[in-house]
Amino acid sequence: MSPEFSDNTKKQLEEIVSRYSRKEAALLPVLHLTQKEFGCISEVEEKLVAELLEIKLIHVREVVTFYTMLNQKPVGKYHIQVCSNLSCMLLGAESLIDYLAEKIGIKPGETSQDKKFTLSTVECLGACEMAPSMMVNFDYYGNLDKKKIDEILKSLK
Amino acid sequence: MEEKVLTQHFGLENFYNIDVYLKKGGYQAVRKALIDMNPEKILEEVKAANLRGRGGAGFPAGVKWGFVPEVDKPKYLCVNADEGEPGTFKDRYIMSHNPHMLLEGIIITSFCVGIHTAFIYIRGEYEAIAVRLEQAISEAYKNGFLGKNILEKGFDLDVFVHRGAGAYICGEETGLLESLEGKRGHPRLKPPFPASVGLFQCPTVINNVETISNIPFIILKGAKWFCEKGLPKDGGTRIFGVSGMVKKPGIYELPLGTNLKDIIYKYAGGMAKDKKLKAVIPGGMSAPILTADEIDIKMDFDSLVNAGSMLGSAAIVIIDMDTSILDVLKIVTKFYSHESCGQCTPCRVGSSWINKIVRRIVEGKGKKEDIDNIVRLASNIQGNTLCPLGDAAAMPILSITKKFRKEIESHVTN
Amino acid sequence: MIKIFLDEKPLEVNEGTTVLKAAEEAGIDIPHLCYHPAFLPEGSCRMCLVEIEGLPELELACSTQVREGMKISTKSEKVIEARKGVLEFLLAEHPLDCPICDKAGECELQNYYEEYGLFDSQFKETKEKRQKKVEIGKNLILDLERCILCTRCVRFLREVTKTQDLGVFNRGLHSEINTYDGVPVDNNYSGNLAEICPVGAITDSDFRFKTRSWFLKQGESICPLCSRGCNTIIESHKGFTHFQVPKRVYRIKSRENNDINGYWICDFGRYGYSYLDDKRLDRIIVNNGKEALTWEKAIAFLAEKIKRLHYVKKTSRLVVVLNTWLSNEELFLLKKIFKNDLSVEKIYFIDPADGEDDDFLLTSERSPNRRGAQEIGFDLKPLDREALMEKADLLLIFGQFISDRFNLTEIKAALENIETKIYFATHSDELNSLVDIVLPTTLIPEKEGSLTNVDGIVQKFLPVLEGPGECRPEWKVLVDLGKELGINFNYYKQFNSPEVVLKEMSKEIPFFEKKNE
Repeated sequence: MSPEFSDNTKKQLEEIVSRYSRKEAALLPVLHLTQKEFGCISEVEEKLVAELLEIKLIHVREVVTFYTMLNQKPVGKYHIQVCSNLSCMLLGAESLIDYLAEKIGIKPGETSQDKKFTLSTVECLGACEMAPSMMVNFDYYGNLDKKKIDEILKSLK
Repeated sequence: MEEKVLTQHFGLENFYNIDVYLKKGGYQAVRKALIDMNPEKILEEVKAANLRGRGGAGFPAGVKWGFVPEVDKPKYLCVNADEGEPGTFKDRYIMSHNPHMLLEGIIITSFCVGIHTAFIYIRGEYEAIAVRLEQAISEAYKNGFLGKNILEKGFDLDVFVHRGAGAYICGEETGLLESLEGKRGHPRLKPPFPASVGLFQCPTVINNVETISNIPFIILKGAKWFCEKGLPKDGGTRIFGVSGMVKKPGIYELPLGTNLKDIIYKYAGGMAKDKKLKAVIPGGMSAPILTADEIDIKMDFDSLVNAGSMLGSAAIVIIDMDTSILDVLKIVTKFYSHESCGQCTPCRVGSSWINKIVRRIVEGKGKKEDIDNIVRLASNIQGNTLCPLGDAAAMPILSITKKFRKEIESHVTN
Repeated sequence: MIKIFLDEKPLEVNEGTTVLKAAEEAGIDIPHLCYHPAFLPEGSCRMCLVEIEGLPELELACSTQVREGMKISTKSEKVIEARKGVLEFLLAEHPLDCPICDKAGECELQNYYEEYGLFDSQFKETKEKRQKKVEIGKNLILDLERCILCTRCVRFLREVTKTQDLGVFNRGLHSEINTYDGVPVDNNYSGNLAEICPVGAITDSDFRFKTRSWFLKQGESICPLCSRGCNTIIESHKGFTHFQVPKRVYRIKSRENNDINGYWICDFGRYGYSYLDDKRLDRIIVNNGKEALTWEKAIAFLAEKIKRLHYVKKTSRLVVVLNTWLSNEELFLLKKIFKNDLSVEKIYFIDPADGEDDDFLLTSERSPNRRGAQEIGFDLKPLDREALMEKADLLLIFGQFISDRFNLTEIKAALENIETKIYFATHSDELNSLVDIVLPTTLIPEKEGSLTNVDGIVQKFLPVLEGPGECRPEWKVLVDLGKELGINFNYYKQFNSPEVVLKEMSKEIPFFEKKNE
């Protein structure tokens, strides 16, 4: 049972690959799509990508392990990424990270038992004017305090 | 309030929609550039405008474009939308509020240099922004501003959005190129410079989002006007990003040369929560820190360099008295050790070594000699690395330990 | 030509030369780790930083090209400080493994620390812990704590073998060089990795814990295992006074030759050196109860046998089996004696069986001098069973390869048909008991001579090892035989060294005239 890209994804991949004069330049966008479809880029997905772009498996892994947004293992349904850089920390991000950890019951870097949440600390998200900020999957949330966090967690079904 | 240039219509609803944009005089600059001007005239104008790069390095855009040789190879434009410098968020605003302004700049730049393929390298976290950009691009194609034979001038141009995946080093121009080519973002040796050997070994222009966004205005209103908007040798406005312990964090488009004191107190509302000012980082985390006594300074490239700092990405971070400078140092060293690509020895080992020392000091196990070591190691990194990230790490570390030595010493034993 | 100043000394160099190469030409060593002449400059180790007048920062010597009037300082205070700084960084996350590391004594990091470092460690933190014994190939062990990320290994596998077996994973200080999921480095050039690794990160398991590099002496030689003629260095133990060393030759390394093997040798040649020491023949063996012989007596005996056949015009009863491991000089002397002087027709050749070439250095021919034999005028008739079956009075065998290629029980009967059998051998094997006299000869590293490689390049070699016991080089034996035969005494008398033989060859054979330099 070897997984394959969905037909829709295949179409998107074709279009993406056509943008570049060299197939391998499409690697990052292809990896994003792959992660979206399969949840992560494990050995199985590495093979799919390598075959599609006609590059070596080792090259795929070199790239996947370099970039922080590419995951070799699946993350929870909601990946909560809290900024731990300067402006956010000046405005209390540290205590919010502790609060989140307490509420969900996991430490930064871990995933909850029910696989619903993964909590991470990340570097500057480019949302400093609404510090403290965090990103849940790709959605930005700013001007956080404990109350807002409670609301956000409740809204994440 | 001065007349805004880049941000003048940011409040307008749906301004990112091409129909709204066109109604407000959008794409006039493209028409003027392609119909009334030619590449040489455009280059002349951009050079005369003294438009310096808004990404961090401040290199004159016109001069950079002039370095591109005439060779039998395709040329590329890479718009640097990686915006990884901590404290910086201006490009996010430009791309989400006024993507067509950026596209106009891209079209005119490409027409000037002879480029037919442009990539917008946008940081992976800005997914929603990437979607908006692709939308704008699609609209531009539909309206004949991109694609084949634009405005019947025989000029072809394709623009693509390329998303990064979480690496600050991909904001460095050659790290960006490597990443765009589908590899790890390891910066390249320079020379050769990207203008001659860039993407896929072809001549490439790399400019920041804000830099390119200024081009339509230089075309429409001329270089002289642009210089008057800023300083004679440093034309135009800057979008200052203010954050930290300040009442009104956000973007402020102001002329180059505006005083930092005014930005903090007049525009951004002053200190938040009645706190007192301790220090200011004037141009993104890599810019050497300024103490509260040093904020009476003009925000332009040369003034800040003379003061031992830099304008960088014009990201201003306000630090209050209640914040321990050791915590600031901790965040700085953590950041650079995380983001070091690992290629060259001083940055790979040095950034983590310093981080380990600072952690130990934070845990209360530091000695005075540790601070001397931090200074020594940071000095050994500075100037000796393959790419500017080494300097970007060393400079804030050196300036913090120098200007706040006593405070850091209070955390260590003899 | 461009004029530059290197440490205040004026120098003329070609345009396009890097500062590093220019310094090398001037005899100045600029320390470097990631740079290797086989690859484009990498610029990541930062050891080669030098000061160039007029430039604000130090520049890399490996990648900066010289310009007219450039003033370079390789020893200024700023440079020395930068070097120390880089060394300090490298050593900070490097394990103190020297006492157990095979690279000790030939480690660039050690060498540079000794020359440019000599400071006490200021690193008080915890070093990163990594795997220390990853088996990444058939003879390779990777120690990730020792790795300095110079990426020479990664680049070698990407650019030379094009197999990309190793990659760099993760980022920053967590960067790690490794295989893909344990898929081993599996090509015929993997041994070069242990050589090009400047530290003990990649080591050779063939050499692991066997000896210390400073006990070895180095000799320049040529690999005889195929017809490429790759230049090698044979490392043999200097020996101890009170302790018998178990091996003589410990390692083969590559030696640079731009016309032949570049910077590399293949694994087949690198690891196939056991023949140099194992089962060597070191004495003259006489079978059939005859008296013990000295070399002089043996040659006299042989000459007598040959003369008897020659004077009754019965040299058709003489069979000579040769190989193309013999040197140009030896093959020339053999031709002179047997073809020219004695008109022997039954001259056969037997070599190790051909193998597969690897599209790079290894040739399908597994002997070093086939081309030489051809140019000298032999038609390389292969030895087959029929040839051996024929009745003969005298059989001379040179080299081990009958034993390798033939089933000895089969040819035993054939050999019994031949009256006298003389075997010039380097190793002991079962053939010893089937002949009359076995005479011990030397291997290529134990004698002087020259070989002609597959492309027609003639390479001279000198002895770098001592032939065991009573061994003699074939060329000397043949010169003595030539003299003893008395047919052309004065001709052979002049040959007191292979050099003289080669000079003679260049006079008689046009191919060697052009080659003899």
